Amino acid sequence: MARKEKQRAYAFHRMSAGEVVVRYLLLAVVLVITVLPFVWQLSTSLKGIDENIYTATPRFIPEHPTFANYTKVAEAVPVVDYAMNSIIVAILVVGGNIVGATMAGYALAKLRFRGSRLVMGALLATLILPGEATIIAQYVTVRSLGLTDTLLGVALPGMIGMINVLLMRAAFTAIPDELEMAAKVDGANAWQRLIHVNLPGVRGMLSVISIFAFIGAWDDFLWPLIVLTDPENLTLTVGLQYLSGTFTNNPRLIAAGTMISFVPIVIVFAVLQRYFFRGVEEGAIKG
Amino acid sequence: MSARRLVGVAAGLAMGLTAMTGCGAGDEPSAGDLGGKIEGKVSIQTWALKPKFTDYVEGVIADFEKENPGVEVTWLDQPGDGYDQKVLTQASSGDLPDVTNLPPDFALPLAQQDQLLDLEEADVDLDKTYVEGGLQGYRYDGLDGTYGYPWYLGTDVNYWNKDMLAKNGLDPANLPTDLDSLIEQARTLKEKSGGKVYLMTRKPGLNDLQQADVPIFNEDGTELTFNTPEAIELVQKYADAYADGLLPKDILTDTFQGNAELYNQEKAAWTTGSANISGLEEANPALAKGTEISPAFGDGPLYVQGLSVNAKSKNLAAANALAQFVTNPDNQREFAKLAPGVYPSTIASQEDPYFTEDDGSVAAKAKVTGLKTLTTAIPNNPKVSPAMSTIIDQQIALAISGDATPQEALDKAVEECNKLLAQ
Amino acid sequence: MTDTVKMSSRVREHKWFTPWLLVAPATLWLCVFNLYPALNTVYMAFTNKKPLGGGEFVGLANFARMLDDDQLLYALTNSVLYMLVCVPLLTMLPLLLAVLVEKKLPGLTFFRVAFYTPVVASAVVVALIWNWMLDDRGAINAILQALKVVQEPLPFLTDRWLLLFSAISLTVWKGLGYYMIIYLSALGNVGRELHEAAAVDGAGPVRRFWSITVPGVRGTMLLITILITVSSLRVFSELYVMTGGTGGPGGRVSSVVMLIQMYSTGFTGHLGYASALSLLLFVLTLVPMVLLARLNRKDG
Repeated sequence: MARKEKQRAYAFHRMSAGEVVVRYLLLAVVLVITVLPFVWQLSTSLKGIDENIYTATPRFIPEHPTFANYTKVAEAVPVVDYAMNSIIVAILVVGGNIVGATMAGYALAKLRFRGSRLVMGALLATLILPGEATIIAQYVTVRSLGLTDTLLGVALPGMIGMINVLLMRAAFTAIPDELEMAAKVDGANAWQRLIHVNLPGVRGMLSVISIFAFIGAWDDFLWPLIVLTDPENLTLTVGLQYLSGTFTNNPRLIAAGTMISFVPIVIVFAVLQRYFFRGVEEGAIKG
Repeated sequence: MSARRLVGVAAGLAMGLTAMTGCGAGDEPSAGDLGGKIEGKVSIQTWALKPKFTDYVEGVIADFEKENPGVEVTWLDQPGDGYDQKVLTQASSGDLPDVTNLPPDFALPLAQQDQLLDLEEADVDLDKTYVEGGLQGYRYDGLDGTYGYPWYLGTDVNYWNKDMLAKNGLDPANLPTDLDSLIEQARTLKEKSGGKVYLMTRKPGLNDLQQADVPIFNEDGTELTFNTPEAIELVQKYADAYADGLLPKDILTDTFQGNAELYNQEKAAWTTGSANISGLEEANPALAKGTEISPAFGDGPLYVQGLSVNAKSKNLAAANALAQFVTNPDNQREFAKLAPGVYPSTIASQEDPYFTEDDGSVAAKAKVTGLKTLTTAIPNNPKVSPAMSTIIDQQIALAISGDATPQEALDKAVEECNKLLAQ
Repeated sequence: MTDTVKMSSRVREHKWFTPWLLVAPATLWLCVFNLYPALNTVYMAFTNKKPLGGGEFVGLANFARMLDDDQLLYALTNSVLYMLVCVPLLTMLPLLLAVLVEKKLPGLTFFRVAFYTPVVASAVVVALIWNWMLDDRGAINAILQALKVVQEPLPFLTDRWLLLFSAISLTVWKGLGYYMIIYLSALGNVGRELHEAAAVDGAGPVRRFWSITVPGVRGTMLLITILITVSSLRVFSELYVMTGGTGGPGGRVSSVVMLIQMYSTGFTGHLGYASALSLLLFVLTLVPMVLLARLNRKDG
């Protein structure tokens, strides 16, 4: 059965040579549009001190490529320690969102209960609230919990993102109700249905919200800056700000710092994307 | 960096919370005694000195602790970005360090809230110790007292690309000295270069009006008054120059490529900048060597940094002593040596041969030129808020684009700023 | 509600408190980190609060001030234009992109990752590159002039409308990868059999896209439409970086969030007025949200 499926899928996937060429052409066009800026940034970070980075026509290939800027960044800022702090915060935020958003998303999509509309309404409302306004209120809360200057304090407000709850709800809604009904008839309770019946179907969206949560936690600057005081606790984005201080402003170092904080995100995405593309394909076969 | 402000959008918006919930200021800690013994734990917060000046600051602190054995100093350094939000959070939640580096416009609202120590109460003759311009930064209309020890000062000098001037029919020995000669030479440069490069690359701001002796505020500081005929004339000159193509089209928006960037990229022959050319040396070493320095037009701007003492510090005596120690002539001199373009705010340092010595290099020329300007330079008015600056900037851009006359634009700017002031 | 009664009479659904246990953490976060600060914003909109001090009740003064604010009018016009352009473009282009990278082709992983990079790019880098491309002597003007499309360079960064157009392009550029990902996860639910059957019946790719793919991701599309509508009204960083934070000549290229930012930052921010603007924004966004949510419910 599975084999037959595969063969059919294969047959469907066979494209004419023309289609393949067109597809690659389109991919290449979008590629140029999307990544050129980063190539430029990477190139700047590899340029030596004696090389003019502001020539009239931008040069993409450094004349004398050097890693000196990266070594300098590492000397100026304890990059590894800060990256570890950022990773801890990111893991807390990703974990919190996976658990919290999944639970709430499932309840809102599949269970009927009094007050669900109210919760949905409040969730949607938060989308349009100027969320930026919350930072000092958050600080007061985190302070009253005694979590200032801790990584948990940095992670806390982002540990359940309302947009992630909505995305998970959308994913659960897309799963056919028949599965849920069948499990109910079999006597499975809500928790069992969530874990065994529904969860496998939303793995794709789970990796999506993980990526969003990771990026959000990783890139955040102002909030960690406000919560953290001890230099040992700083996250990477805050720590790297020391590169563009009042008296130092070397674009090459800043470019190198940007690349250092940028690469982990690309890696996380590159790793996670496999899961959700697999999720995409699984879903298709079940469809 | 700008987008990070996205996060900070309306960060202050929630500031009211603290007052509302009462969690903010917390229990009033009983302030220490200014005349008491110099001992206990004190914290000092600096702005963007790490990692370049780590050794220096740690050295100064170690010296202070050696002189005052009973004191333990904690040093905090905040990154350049987001400092205003950090200080605001600290101030509104009662977490302000004992000694904090505050520029004058940050210190004013804190002083108005009685959060800062009035240094007139301290045992020091401020006027005999610190230069007048520095002290002015921390003395405010309608508020008695002085609220910060002036620390390091800065000013602007003119940078000229000698090659570019010479190539386009201008004489690097005969540089512009005011707006009229600047516009005249900009015209020559444009004609000779066929519009490939520019001389002028920025639109005027409030600072330029101030340099032209336009009164920004009325005498009591209750109303803005910068829509004078002189100001209108100045903006008109820029608008005409813009219409004649003497300035790049995109100066109307302060996009990322500021005038310094264009200078570094050799698209413009002139820029103003601090008396520290190391940034240029890093970005374009060849150009740094071919740069001529001249004093700022008019009186020149004065940038002031100072150390303020938290009025509620538990160890007020120690905090005050620390602030005085960091800003004393010896320590300031050492700092200025490490940070080119920065000048001490102590009177005793002004005669220091280090700052008057010219070894013929471009860097030394910048240093000496800047020092000369320093005595006349005018500090920015701390009452002009960021929102006012934005409005003034928008209206001047509108006038220069030709979509409004300078009169209309400046009137509008004054009107809007006064609305802000009245609120 | 009648539905619920019918269902629970058939199969015992769950204990009454189970759903609440499931939504409890999210609700807690919602209240502490979203609703509470929001209520505070409502309160402040009626005061003259400043970051340090102020806070007296001023009634409707902040709202009255809005009527007399030219900049607000510019900002609202811009937001509407933004919405009109961004909603169709960002609903369709990322879907096309998702379909493009959905099929297995050698090297596709690389493209998928690459397309996502603008989403994680720092605004400074983005601003630098876009200004470099759009300025008078930038790449785009150079191309247009070389192709003799225009004689004089187009003032992408100074003209009010062109500047807005530039910012919109930036939004679309950054949004492509973001929404592509959401679509990709939804595409998994579109039955492949349907595609195959349609292909056997001789339906071309365009027809299959409209009659199978689009209906298949309809729920997601509505969610994305909501997200784009909301973010169009709340646009900030693109306009901010393209105008260097000034809002352009005369402040004509700003948005409501930029005004909120302008009035609320710094030690002398006008938090009362900024809060009132936030409330206005909230109400404005509510309208398309409610409309779309209603559509969504009909579909769901």
